Amino acid sequence: MSDAIVERDRALFGPLSETGRGFYLTVGVLGLAILWGAIAYAVQWSEGLGVTGLHQPVSWGFYVTNFVFFIGISHAGTLISAILRLSKAEWRRPITRMAEVITVMVLFIGAGQILVDLGRPDRMMNVIQYGRYQSPLLWDATSISAYLTASTFYLYLPLIPDIAILRDHLGKRRWLYAVLALGWRGTERQWKILNRAIAIMAVLVIPIAVSVHTVVSFVFSMTIQPMWHSTIFGPYFVAGAIFSGIAAIIVAMGIIRRIYRLQSYLKPIHFRYLGQLLLVMTLLWFYLTFAEYLTGYYGNEPEEMKVFWSKFTGPFWPFFWAMVVANFVIPMVLLVRLRHHAVGKTVVASAFVVVGMWLERFIIVVPTLSNPRLPFPEGQYWPTWIEWGELAASFGVFILFYVLFVKLFPIISIWEIQEGRDVGLKEVEERLLTYLPDGAADAAMPEREKVLT
Amino acid sequence: MALWGMVIDLDRCTGCQACVMACKAENNVPAVGPKEAARGRIISWMHVLREESEERTRFLPRPCLQCDDPPCTKVCPVYATYRNPEGIVAQIHARCIGCRFCMAACPYNAKYFNWLRYQKEGPGQNPDVSVRPKGVVEKCTFCHHRLQKARERARAEGRDLVAGDYVTACAEACPTRAITFGDLLDEGSEVARLARSPRAFRLGEELGTRPKVFYLAEMEGHRRV
Amino acid sequence: MNEPESAFDRSVRRTQWVLAGLAVLFVTGIVTWIAHLIRTAWRLGDVLSASIGISLVAIPVFLTLGGVIVYVFVGLLTDRSAR
Ligand code: SF4
Ligand code: SF4
Repeated sequence: MSDAIVERDRALFGPLSETGRGFYLTVGVLGLAILWGAIAYAVQWSEGLGVTGLHQPVSWGFYVTNFVFFIGISHAGTLISAILRLSKAEWRRPITRMAEVITVMVLFIGAGQILVDLGRPDRMMNVIQYGRYQSPLLWDATSISAYLTASTFYLYLPLIPDIAILRDHLGKRRWLYAVLALGWRGTERQWKILNRAIAIMAVLVIPIAVSVHTVVSFVFSMTIQPMWHSTIFGPYFVAGAIFSGIAAIIVAMGIIRRIYRLQSYLKPIHFRYLGQLLLVMTLLWFYLTFAEYLTGYYGNEPEEMKVFWSKFTGPFWPFFWAMVVANFVIPMVLLVRLRHHAVGKTVVASAFVVVGMWLERFIIVVPTLSNPRLPFPEGQYWPTWIEWGELAASFGVFILFYVLFVKLFPIISIWEIQEGRDVGLKEVEERLLTYLPDGAADAAMPEREKVLT
Repeated sequence: MALWGMVIDLDRCTGCQACVMACKAENNVPAVGPKEAARGRIISWMHVLREESEERTRFLPRPCLQCDDPPCTKVCPVYATYRNPEGIVAQIHARCIGCRFCMAACPYNAKYFNWLRYQKEGPGQNPDVSVRPKGVVEKCTFCHHRLQKARERARAEGRDLVAGDYVTACAEACPTRAITFGDLLDEGSEVARLARSPRAFRLGEELGTRPKVFYLAEMEGHRRV
Repeated sequence: MNEPESAFDRSVRRTQWVLAGLAVLFVTGIVTWIAHLIRTAWRLGDVLSASIGISLVAIPVFLTLGGVIVYVFVGLLTDRSAR
């Protein structure tokens, strides 16, 4: 561990080579959360879904909310990273990897929510054997598996050169790294293949990601239930997904930066840029929410209004208004000026957005169900410890996977940082010159040369 | 081919719940017990709703409306609920994975879920109807097993199925004869005649689900024409 | 590359090819599955148009994904060029 490569980015190897007390403590706490979820699931498996708070007419609750929420979070990673890569944003370099990891881990958990939600998980194979494509659930299954494949591979591709570095320098887990490095030696041909594949995947992954949350929204909007049957739901869900996803990335960045002392890699500027992106998404989210609710309100259809008022002033008002505060008011206040304390402000705003977006999903799923068209004996939905357990375990599994990933692979792409230093700097300068009018570029050239020499 | 339908005369219904009880006995609909009932998990394929307005109280018995264009069957991922060629919306308990998507999609809340295992096979049950396990959706099937039996009997007697051979348990049980059942395509049948009555209306007509359960009510029918 | 391969290298190589095979198997599995769903819809007289419409999009996407995966695995694993 004394090569120049390792020496230059020593901080990035820290979590890979050393394991402290904090790690075991975290894993222990997460283990408890997961244990809670496991016990809850065992009870649910043997007793049936009756152990949850679900009933008639609220037959979907926490699990479906979590499904939409987690799939939403998963949007940030790969999508943002692909967009930043394609737009050649240089500041992406330390961020892309940690974003992509979120996607892959959270997608598994999101898809898992549906399995937890099934009344007969033992008959899951029926979906494969007798699935029918008229059901939006099958659209989800197809779209999510495409996204899972694509984003896993998209995470893996830029990992290959880093794994090769680990294989050659770390001295631990050699067999694993040797297998995963795919014989990477950094030849010209290998670089060509890798760069081309990354470029193709970056393009491919964007429409897939958009399709995923669109079809998740279709689960609701394809029915004819009040406040679900809405044409805006596709884009609304996608925007919300990106919104919550960016927030999740920022929170993850804030925590990782703190724990692994990566302040020199994840700088305030990164938080500021992402914070501005988050601000844009806040506004977009508010715009779409406004459009959605005003249309319902103005149309004044009795069935829609029942749901509408139950959200605004009825039993769901605390959730609804908390959502508005967490998703709009707080981010607006914190994010408009990011000159100072960019890190703290964006992380706090993002934490609120994550909670707010969970509430948003809840406020979409439950009020519609609890206000049926026909006068129906109503019951209030409140989750039991089983559902809380699944929620805790979902977060537990997510964080545990993340922590393990950080233990096994560099969470900041080593080669991309180095490429930024060695190639990126020059490239950006040249690219800048091509943006300028021709004369200006020619005029600037000799000037610059003079300065440099 | 028939198209089975039902007409319920609200001006005759007294809300006596005889249809509800008859349905429970006929279809082995489980009694969930007071604790589960308090949690909103009563299963009642036929459910008598109460509509209260200033001038009157009205009862509205609601089975599954057997929509001719059912929103519930479209969303089922595994073909566990489908519209059969005679228009009955069937439910295959052995295939249902319990996703409850159909419950979310039914605009009339006609579907019920077995949140727990509510009953085991035992004496006193109707042997023609399966006892549902936990974790699956169930609903009114227009007493489909009665159609099968009626067909078999007709075949054994070497004749065609005639009106009155196949009637649902609720229609049989109603003391005020508010429920009429039969083939909507058979022009001469009682059901077809009543369904064309100016008093007739359907629930949620504007949703385009085309229920095959019609209601009769003096004011309602005119208003909705 | 004339040095004899060690047991370590051989097990690494073999695992890499197994991984590549699994990836291909996964993608072909999904494509077969989608085709199976079309067949099921046809046999049950179910909504065939939905199955065909979706598979028209889904199958090419999965094939492209599989193509890129194969391209990378084969390209990197068979690379013998000098550095
Ligand atoms: S009433 Fe509900 S359950 Fe019955 S057919 Fe219509 S949508 Fe389906
Ligand atoms: S609950 Fe059963 S019948 Fe209803 S949509 Fe799901 S699988 Fe189909």
